[in-house]
Amino acid sequence: MSFMQEEKRPGKKKIKTTRVVNGLDVEEEVWVDDLEAPLFKPREECRLLGTRMKRVDGPAKLTGAAEYTSDVRLEGMLYAKVLLCPFGRAKVKIDAAPALASKGCVHARQLVDETKYLGQPVAVVAAATPELAEDALRALVVEYEPLPWVLDRGQALAEGAPEVRSRGNLGRPTEDGDAGEVEAAFAQCAVVVEQEYSVPVQHHVCLETHGTVVDYRGGEDAIVYCSTQSTHGIVGDAAESLGLRKAQVRGIVQHMGGGFGSKFGLERAGTLACEISREQKRPVHLMWNREAEFLTSGNRTGAWQRVKAGANKDGRMLAMSSDVERYGGIGGGSHAGLPYLYSVEKSLRKHASVYMHLDTNCAMRAPGHPQASFAMESVVDELAAGLGMDAVEFRKRNLNSPAHLRQLDRVAELIGWNEHPNRTAPGSVDGFEAVGIGFGCSRWGVGGSPVCQVDVRVMNDGSVTAEVGSQDLGTGTRTYLAAIVAEELGRPLDGVQARLGDSRMGNANGSGGSTTTPSLAPAVQDAARQMRGVLSVAAAEHFGCAPEEVVLDPDGARAPGGKLTWLELCALLPPEGASVRGTWQSDLAVSGVACTQAARVRVDLLTGRVKVEKMVCLQECGRPLNRLALESQIRGAMTQALSYALLEERRVDPQLGIALSADLETYKIAGSLEIPEFVALVDDDDLREGVAGVGEPPVIPGAGAIANAVFNACGVRLRHLPLTPDKVLNAIEERKSS
Amino acid sequence: MRSFRILTPRDVATAVDQLPATRGPATREDARVLAGGQDILTELKHDLIAPEALVDLSSIAGLEGHERTPDGGLRIGAMTRLVDLERDASLAGAFAVLREAAASVASPQIRTQATVGGNLCQRPRCAYYRHSHAPCIKKGGSECFAATGHNKYNAIFGGGPSYIVHPSDLAPALVALNAEAVVVGPRGERRMPLENFFTLPSEGSILRENVLGKNEVLSELIVPKPADGTVSTYLKFRERESYDFALVAVACTLRIDGSKLASASLVLGGVAPIPWRATRAEVLLANAEVGVDLVRRAAQASIEGAAPLSENGYKLPLTRNLVWKALTALGAGGAR
Ligand SMILES: Cc1cc2nc3c(=O)[nH]c(=O)nc-3n(C[C@H](O)[C@H](O)[C@H](O)COP(=O)(O)OP(=O)(O)OC[C@H]3O[C@@H](n4cnc5c(N)ncnc54)[C@H](O)[C@@H]3O)c2cc1C
Repeated sequence: MSFMQEEKRPGKKKIKTTRVVNGLDVEEEVWVDDLEAPLFKPREECRLLGTRMKRVDGPAKLTGAAEYTSDVRLEGMLYAKVLLCPFGRAKVKIDAAPALASKGCVHARQLVDETKYLGQPVAVVAAATPELAEDALRALVVEYEPLPWVLDRGQALAEGAPEVRSRGNLGRPTEDGDAGEVEAAFAQCAVVVEQEYSVPVQHHVCLETHGTVVDYRGGEDAIVYCSTQSTHGIVGDAAESLGLRKAQVRGIVQHMGGGFGSKFGLERAGTLACEISREQKRPVHLMWNREAEFLTSGNRTGAWQRVKAGANKDGRMLAMSSDVERYGGIGGGSHAGLPYLYSVEKSLRKHASVYMHLDTNCAMRAPGHPQASFAMESVVDELAAGLGMDAVEFRKRNLNSPAHLRQLDRVAELIGWNEHPNRTAPGSVDGFEAVGIGFGCSRWGVGGSPVCQVDVRVMNDGSVTAEVGSQDLGTGTRTYLAAIVAEELGRPLDGVQARLGDSRMGNANGSGGSTTTPSLAPAVQDAARQMRGVLSVAAAEHFGCAPEEVVLDPDGARAPGGKLTWLELCALLPPEGASVRGTWQSDLAVSGVACTQAARVRVDLLTGRVKVEKMVCLQECGRPLNRLALESQIRGAMTQALSYALLEERRVDPQLGIALSADLETYKIAGSLEIPEFVALVDDDDLREGVAGVGEPPVIPGAGAIANAVFNACGVRLRHLPLTPDKVLNAIEERKSS
Repeated sequence: MRSFRILTPRDVATAVDQLPATRGPATREDARVLAGGQDILTELKHDLIAPEALVDLSSIAGLEGHERTPDGGLRIGAMTRLVDLERDASLAGAFAVLREAAASVASPQIRTQATVGGNLCQRPRCAYYRHSHAPCIKKGGSECFAATGHNKYNAIFGGGPSYIVHPSDLAPALVALNAEAVVVGPRGERRMPLENFFTLPSEGSILRENVLGKNEVLSELIVPKPADGTVSTYLKFRERESYDFALVAVACTLRIDGSKLASASLVLGGVAPIPWRATRAEVLLANAEVGVDLVRRAAQASIEGAAPLSENGYKLPLTRNLVWKALTALGAGGAR
């Protein structure tokens, strides 16, 4: 055993932070300067921060003025399209000559000789219009020789199954825990549940599909418009595909129609667009169609989870063993692990990947967490029911963060738990309908990292810009970029112009792991604070006082020596104005946010319809910057969780080897009539001064809460998502007849 | 989608002339009827069909619109938009079923464009049929993949050799109202009960869902006057509450005379390749005393003879319960 002296470095401190690797957050420790942080103004003094601000880009989005990647139209631009292999796996032979001979087509080629997954792009064409590109695709003479595939678990694990990868279709399991200890712990339990829980593969369903528009006409410079979560992250790959240097490529991401984790790089559409543009020396537009979006753009891992768990009569979970299979297609899949969130004294686990000929999973809004949460929240609920214990009380006995304990009380009150009749035993299937309530909790790491460089500039005519190369995924980044600066300088929100989405601007991280805000906002505040210093010095010189005596407020600057309007103050600056660069400040970012949700459902016992009537979410987020944006993040997450719980499911036909849900008719997502009353609450008992991002944590517990509510309503336990009427009604009928 | 010509005939006879006279499976040369385009466009886009021309019925005067006939029935032109039925508040009582069915279709945008004729003639929604690489029996292949594959949405009645369900919401409603179909072809006009217009896969051509020849056009529907005092309803149950097809739908009309059911008609949607008349339930209901027991027995009778597939057994209790609900709502269980 080695002893290590706690390392010390002068003027430095060590902090925990989160780094995102392919959308998964990894915690690490880093050294940062130990400086006094440029804290935000006290909450009660803020005019903008912490209020409900409308998005600064809202009008542009509503009127259609906002230009998304797919909207970009350039002179001489080609439209590229891909052909997808309709089978699980095939050898491909393509004669591209007829396509090349078709009207307006300038590029047509085969991409692979043999496919690895259902829907893999096998050919690409480019033509003068989208319609001519479609014609060119149809003109390709394509021969598929289907090869044996594995598209479901049964096929993948069958004897002699074709191998998805050389080491077999069942990955080596990760195992941990001591079987003997867990066995002994089970022996102490008053109640033991052993069940299987499954979740299907879910799609991101970004409103804007994946895609890129490349503006390159030969020569030394290219502009790459991309629907991406990482403006800076695409430049290197684009340069490589274009045969240029990084410094010659500029990435632009002005508006973005959703990514949810699926758009971290240039992606396949982007490299193809660059390759064609390089060859043709013309701009190229390549957006995936919806089918490609469903088949080749990654997805949320499906999972089969066999869980055995036990609790003693006091409601403490003593033992859990779990056997989890991850279904991530040709990828390894992701799963946050069991036990999840709740503390269990002894646990044993075995988690493994099962490989299939389907596109790889990728990061999706809290990758791996909703799967684990669904199984965990369900089994927690089953144990509580087994003991006849109040579901809220049982949770409290097995959660150790104080935040969850207080959140559970508050959420229980808001959903009407305390007046609800089924607190210790579920309702029945008699009658026409039944009402139930269920709960779920989550925690998320967040945390920022020192990557962002924010430039704030004030010109001598009073105009102000705040600029960074980060991107706004529709989450409100642009708005707080302006608001933080406006708050600090005493300007109105529209007095600061926010600019982002350009790789020529200051560096920023990719938007994953809910780390955008905790990485960016502290750097914005740092720049804003510096700029306030610059202006205070200018005013102090003018008044002949000390800079600390200058106050910036909505009227301009005040000091013992007098007053200056904003325009007068800025006129004191040199002709080129003043500019400062802000960097990350560790004290302004928090890590670790707790979330608690409850759902109230009405189950139609005649049809099996689960109608979610109300969902409550209480979410920690450190210092709230824009409540309106935070509330919409939380609502959006609850919507996605509800849709996962009730409707979404990828379907394929393993025999024919084809996809059966690669459009929005057959892959059903919740519509406006499914949306309940949402109570989305920022947890104001979280008094930390730093900020957090909350894109992910509120998507985690919703599905478990809804399934638990169905059980609570009518005693029917559904362990396989989605909870479509067929499954619910079958279970109701079964319970009626037993 | 391949390019095609649009033909704009001025009258039905010209339209019929422009349609192909040949028999047998469709070829590239075959022109097709275009009504509101909400279904045929999706078939074109998925390359399920590739006609050389579309014969646009909207250029023909007189096919659009619905009106009361002098005897109190209803005449509905094939090109009447669904939204016009949905918005006609006078479609109440016996005709409520029609208005409710129209209002339940797809989305407001689609209902504004879609027509009654197109709705009745629309092609199946089965995911295998709609997949351009699944050579299913409805497209000239030899197998119904739904029979052994995914069949949650497929038929529990009347299946074999194909197990599609008829997707139309108007069809059960109009059959329940005993509507007649008027069909115009090269030899002029023929009329038939709408019920006989639809064909099971085992009876008509497996490639279509009705009796229409390639060069025949559905021109109008005639609904006879319902007996005074008839009430009706359309109950549609879908997986998602909007923009979705029926898992099961019930079109029901009935007339109560004192304590007796003078007449009842019960037609199911979403359960069979055609609008499915629940004959056994109708027999039970005819001239019976109203009451909860009657409703329960009729609901049970409505699923007798069903043959569920591996994934659609839930349609039995669902059908039974929806029939129960519809009958009860219309008073067959007695005063409430
Ligand atoms: C997303 C979506 C959801 C939908 N949901 C529903 C739903 O819930 N319920 C429902 O009932 N429908 C639904 N539909 C189908 C839609 O209602 C029908 O497609 C529509 O009513 C068809 O009418 P149309 O006038 O647009 O027909 P078209 O698309 O023009 O024609 C449909 C077919 O009928 C033929 N045809 C049309 N008119 C005639 C005629 N007079 N004589 C002979 N042949 C003719 C055409 O050749 C074509 O084959 C949905 C469609 C979509 C795309």
